[in-house]
Amino acid sequence: MNCHEATALTAAYHDGELGPAQSLALEQHLVGCADCAARRAELDALHSRLRKETPYHAAPGALRERIIAMLPVVAPSGAGSGGQRWRWLSAGAFAGAAATVFAWVLGTALLESRDVDALAAEAVSDHVRATLGKRQIEVASSDQHTVKPWLSSQLDFSPPVKDQAADGFTLLGARLDYLDRHPVATLVYRYRQHGVDVFVRPATRASRPTPPTTVRGFNVSHAIGTGMEWWAVSDASPDVLAAFVERLAHDDAR
Amino acid sequence: MPDDEFRVRFERVVMPHLDAAYNLARWLTRDAHDAEDVVQEAMLRAYRYFRALRGASARPWLLTIVRRSFYEWLTANRPAEIDRNFDQDLLGSQADRTTVGPEQVALRRAENATLAEAIAALPVGFREVLILRELEELSYKEIAHIVDIPIGTVMSRLARARGLLQKSPLLESVRGSAAGGER
Repeated sequence: MNCHEATALTAAYHDGELGPAQSLALEQHLVGCADCAARRAELDALHSRLRKETPYHAAPGALRERIIAMLPVVAPSGAGSGGQRWRWLSAGAFAGAAATVFAWVLGTALLESRDVDALAAEAVSDHVRATLGKRQIEVASSDQHTVKPWLSSQLDFSPPVKDQAADGFTLLGARLDYLDRHPVATLVYRYRQHGVDVFVRPATRASRPTPPTTVRGFNVSHAIGTGMEWWAVSDASPDVLAAFVERLAHDDAR
Repeated sequence: MPDDEFRVRFERVVMPHLDAAYNLARWLTRDAHDAEDVVQEAMLRAYRYFRALRGASARPWLLTIVRRSFYEWLTANRPAEIDRNFDQDLLGSQADRTTVGPEQVALRRAENATLAEAIAALPVGFREVLILRELEELSYKEIAHIVDIPIGTVMSRLARARGLLQKSPLLESVRGSAAGGER
């Protein structure tokens, strides 16, 4: 690669948009070329100064409240009359029964959400401990055919291991963790600058779909599929993480 | 779907990205109060068309709506700021130093300006791709979709935005030290 090509590719490399082959070729060029390496260093310097010195403007609380208060008066486009069917619940004859059912549903939901929160918190603790302790990976390989047999040899279940490189998630390897007093398989991925841990255990009858949550700043996404329960933990954005864990859990054609 | 369930789902899927929506609007409008107006309009619009999201990624989808709401707001409130010609600068007929507009001149003079002020002084078309990339960390593809331009244009605008910032006096020290360290 010459300087002309390197100049054209440096920004894309910096932004994590280059494929592995081009990245490698560029890295080799940068080792031997002070001018191109300096240009790359400038991009890094600008990025870190932007992150450090520019405010990320969080929405004021009052704005959030105002928007939530306004939602009920907005008619969603394409809204059916689905709401009408439930009106009967307010009829006197059913009110008592409904209240009982409601209390029961609420009680169950609270119980479940506490369990789920505890599980999410435990998953985040595992993630943080692994990151701090440098014990992120016990079998390092980007090859799913290496990672899967290793996991199978350590556990009494065999989680599917999928390469998600096409969507920007590079498989780095795997390790074992404990979750809810049982060993789980942990798949370690990298997405741009973010580490992503995916905890996998066999799904049981008690497994329930769980909405994404945030624990101590880490996003946690959950999915059930292919006979397994999947928990993804990362500081990557919640929607990226949710889509990722769904792809892992569901055996699509990829 | 009952309306309540619809609303709960919206609050769970879209509301977590309210900060991203506000951050983008705040950088685009450069004013806290105007940003609130733009975001409020965008969120209500997002709610109205929430059904159209259908499992796609919520953050880029919401930011697309925020950006559109911003341009409508801009047309209505500050039409003079709509710069339709800045892509001409990108075509390369003129060298960088000759295309310096009044904003960049002001920027160069403002030795004590902060980096945030330097970004605020960028033409809006460069500013938006810079914010979407550097602060929201969206991919080129996502940015291309939000701004409705080809990926090549995302790359050239981003390069231009970074170039303008790096040429501002604020960043010269960083340039010097970064280059010096390698040599």
